[in-house]
Amino acid sequence: MKEGTPHSGGVPGFFTGLSMPIATHVADPGNDRSRIDARNDALFRGILRVCALLVLAALLGAALSTLWGGREVLFGDGWHFLASSQWNPVENRYGAWAPIYGTLVTSLIAIVIAVPLSFGIALCLTEVAPLWLRTPVATAIELLAAIPSIIYGMWGLFVFVPFMAAHVDPMLDSTLGRLPFVGALFRGPPLGLGLLTAGIVLAIMIVPFISSVMREVFQTVPARLKESAYALGSTTWEVVWDIVLPYTRQAVIGGIFLGLGRALGETMAVTFVLGNAYDLSASLLMPGTSISSSIANEFNEAVGLHRSALIALGFLLFVVTFVVLLIARRMLRSLKRKEGNA
Amino acid sequence: MNDLATAVQSVLQQPADATRVKIAVRGLDFHYHDIHAVRNIHMDISERKVTAIIGPSGCGKSTLLRVFNRIYAIYPKQRADGAVLLDGENILDPGYSLNRLRSKVGMVFQKPVPFPMTIYENVAYGIRHHETLSRPRMDERVEQALRAAALWDEVKDKMKKSALGLSGGQQQRLCIARGIALRPQVLLLDEPTSALDPIATGRIEQLIEELKKDYTIVIVTHNMQQAARVSDETAFMYMGELIEFGNTEKIFTKPDKKQTEDYITGRFG
Repeated sequence: MKEGTPHSGGVPGFFTGLSMPIATHVADPGNDRSRIDARNDALFRGILRVCALLVLAALLGAALSTLWGGREVLFGDGWHFLASSQWNPVENRYGAWAPIYGTLVTSLIAIVIAVPLSFGIALCLTEVAPLWLRTPVATAIELLAAIPSIIYGMWGLFVFVPFMAAHVDPMLDSTLGRLPFVGALFRGPPLGLGLLTAGIVLAIMIVPFISSVMREVFQTVPARLKESAYALGSTTWEVVWDIVLPYTRQAVIGGIFLGLGRALGETMAVTFVLGNAYDLSASLLMPGTSISSSIANEFNEAVGLHRSALIALGFLLFVVTFVVLLIARRMLRSLKRKEGNA
Repeated sequence: MNDLATAVQSVLQQPADATRVKIAVRGLDFHYHDIHAVRNIHMDISERKVTAIIGPSGCGKSTLLRVFNRIYAIYPKQRADGAVLLDGENILDPGYSLNRLRSKVGMVFQKPVPFPMTIYENVAYGIRHHETLSRPRMDERVEQALRAAALWDEVKDKMKKSALGLSGGQQQRLCIARGIALRPQVLLLDEPTSALDPIATGRIEQLIEELKKDYTIVIVTHNMQQAARVSDETAFMYMGELIEFGNTEKIFTKPDKKQTEDYITGRFG
């Protein structure tokens, strides 16, 4: 550090700068003024840099502390933690597969349902709906996002789970469940609780996020761009698919991954409706568990190795989210190349 | 309605040697919600001529142009009444297919608006809405359109690059190529050079001169020199009404109406 030099942008330099103009003001006001400006600017840049670094530090700190907290399980037992689905606090044997599987599958279900739904909502609100309807519906959707997740969890458990058990599960079991191959996904007793139920509740929770992002970016498409496509004879659907979506692609994918990030980490609502069973089952109708709901359920009574295993799960959630973001980046880059920007 | 019938008759029974009327506007009114933007317009637009529409901002000239391909119809609460006859058929008739209309009437907008696709796809995009072509036939059509828009030599080596990387003038010529790729009969130009530099503007004007051999061109411009340079006939609009319409030379040298003269000599507008 060169804190002592007169040109440093640090705090001491800033203060001496403040006292200087009184002495030299008459001699050369312009030069003096610009020196103070340069100093203040440097200070401002320094503060901004600290803000940005704080985020990095927090992220790195969280990653490292979960890695440290989970070290006994992550490195103590070879690859057992990552390779096994056995989770047995009594024998102190922990394998992370069931929660990882549950997290990924419920999030995938949520995205598969929420993306087309949000797309439809956003399109309707920007292209089709009459003007007087647009703002009220948009506001209502944003209010949905403000409902605490515990409320979704309670609604899921008391209203949605019985509904699934009484109607949807038996229906799926007797229709899609009969099909070869995919049938295995939809066979099972009508418990109501399970991966599918959790995925649907998650979908409802992330629709507001994805659809409000989509709606906002669809509004940024210049009218003249759409007009020129209409002028070539495009239909509304073609304008949306060929012009609006490519134009807003980056932000749309960003919105989807914002929703996916929430789905991956969502705890309370999922804990209520997932069933909390450490089973790896092919069927979506069977109970499962997810990383965050395992932690929420067991952290209270966990000690020793059990506790370490839960912290290690937290670290895995980090890794999973990171990998998902990485895939998103890759997707964007390859799409860009296809379009001819690379 | 009798009026309309006689208009159709007069359009259909023109003598072969006279300039043919391509678009006949009869009693056209246009409303934005409750604003009466264009009032009772009657005009005949000649085939394979350049017709310029001039007038101060807000006089309704762009609005009139936007009726010719019914692009206004994508917005709720915009309404056109009266008749616009394209080759004797009323395009305002709800039964007139939009797809057919837009394959016959192309439009180029004020600011260049290339689609977020490659240069090739920008031109091929419109064609695909109306025809199914084999790859070599499509390549041919794209090349033809780009040549006609005087852009081929500049882009032939980067057809797979994004159109967003072109300069403003190139983008505007690409938009013209996109429009003529459909082989329309009429080309609507809405202040096509207002966002371009003088050199690019000169090139577009040259292009208009060449395109009029094959197309009926209607151009809206706020630049009177441009109207005088490129057009055969000129319409002067003011406050939603067509004040004067006739031969460009006459309009610019000895207009009949005082308002036209005031506008052209720069006394208002």
